[in-house]
Amino acid sequence: MTNRPTEFFEAASTLAVVVSSNEPLLFLSEDQRVIAASASFCRAFDIDPATVPGKRLDALGNGEWAMPTLASLLKATASGKAQISAYEIDLKRPDQKTRQLVVHARTLDDGDKDHVRLLLAVTDVTDARAETRLNNDLVRDNAMLMQEVQHRVANSLQIIASVLMQSARRVQSEEVRGHLHNAHHRVMSIAALQRQLSTSKGGNVELKTYLTQLCQSLGASMIAEPDRLSIAVTVDDSAVDADVSVSLGLIVTELVINALKHAFPDQPSGTIAIDYRSDGGDWTLSVSDNGIGMPEGSDAPKAGLGSGIVEALVKNLQGEIRMSDADPGTAVTIAHRGPPVRHADLSTAV
Amino acid sequence: MNNGRAVVLVIEDNTIVRMGAVDLVLAAGYEALEARDADEAIRILESRSDIDLVFTDVQMPGTMDGIKLAHYIRDRWPPVKLIVASGNDILEESSLPGGSSFFPKPYDDSAITDAMARLLASDNPKGTATG
Repeated sequence: MTNRPTEFFEAASTLAVVVSSNEPLLFLSEDQRVIAASASFCRAFDIDPATVPGKRLDALGNGEWAMPTLASLLKATASGKAQISAYEIDLKRPDQKTRQLVVHARTLDDGDKDHVRLLLAVTDVTDARAETRLNNDLVRDNAMLMQEVQHRVANSLQIIASVLMQSARRVQSEEVRGHLHNAHHRVMSIAALQRQLSTSKGGNVELKTYLTQLCQSLGASMIAEPDRLSIAVTVDDSAVDADVSVSLGLIVTELVINALKHAFPDQPSGTIAIDYRSDGGDWTLSVSDNGIGMPEGSDAPKAGLGSGIVEALVKNLQGEIRMSDADPGTAVTIAHRGPPVRHADLSTAV
Repeated sequence: MNNGRAVVLVIEDNTIVRMGAVDLVLAAGYEALEARDADEAIRILESRSDIDLVFTDVQMPGTMDGIKLAHYIRDRWPPVKLIVASGNDILEESSLPGGSSFFPKPYDDSAITDAMARLLASDNPKGTATG
């Protein structure tokens, strides 16, 4: 060694601990000469270990460690005025990319107060930071893409809704107009779900919000006299898979349309009540009205597309449908017993 | 107002949706004007003084989107009523000028005509037409 090392000999064990440190570590004298450097430090920052001992910190390598901020922070640490904890500095070397470093410095506390020595731990966070940035970018891109998709879906549904409503205004036949309006309600039912999905996390749909919104939208477009007819929605805290909620929403749409059309021909007032509750895998959906009740015999309306849709969806959900006299009015109850069909309940999931 | 009928300017870049919106305005008994973007809308607003209500989309080509347009109209023609519809509901509702009505897309036609009737009646009780 050509440089004068230090006047003071460190215990061999201390030096061995420093050299073998997994984290890049420098052991410095008070005047910022390197007493020892860990092998990991030399490897990480491309420094020949043989050149290290006794060298001033600012002369290490090609002088890239001569950073005034680092020197003054180490000086403050040595004098006991400050401790460097997670201080960020940039390591700049010619022809190499700048590395972002996080440094920790402290005095060695071995009871020897006359010989201040410093431990400087150096972590290269360049790659970790880049990865975090990349992840953040990905998350942001994903969210933007998701929003874009939802926007497109909403606009596409708007085009369909616009076409249906224009057709409905143009046709002469009341019956055809009714069919077009029903088709429009079905589209709006799916749109309400789409909106609900865009705000929910993990693809589960909170039925309470969804069915309430859905019935508000049905009421707004179908009920001409809101003082006369109303829709009441009672739903527990269930959250279900998106697929299941599409089916439930369409079932409710069909049954509400049906009740609004047939249950209250001349009644001074009327209410349609939607009720959904679940217990584990079991659930029950009922749509009831306090109207004129089911017509019988030849007065019974022909089964239309609406009842076909309801039957198919109920079957798909492995449920059973039952119609009963609610006295006054009609109740349609759909019940599923047994394990859920891709169906999750918030109360059991938490 | 034109011959006692409220005048509604529809701004929407999608042709089918614009046709539908004009159709619902006419069906509600109002006079309808249409524009494909904010620049065209502003030219129409500058050229006539009888426009009572603007019904605009948000995302559209040109120098302004529907939100900027809504603020511009509120500043320059404060009496004109505003209805804004967009497929991006949550983000946009809070950034609109006060007093405007917002509807997520797809909107229900009757909800829009109700809002039009309400906004037009608010300072013009006699001038509203009903479909």
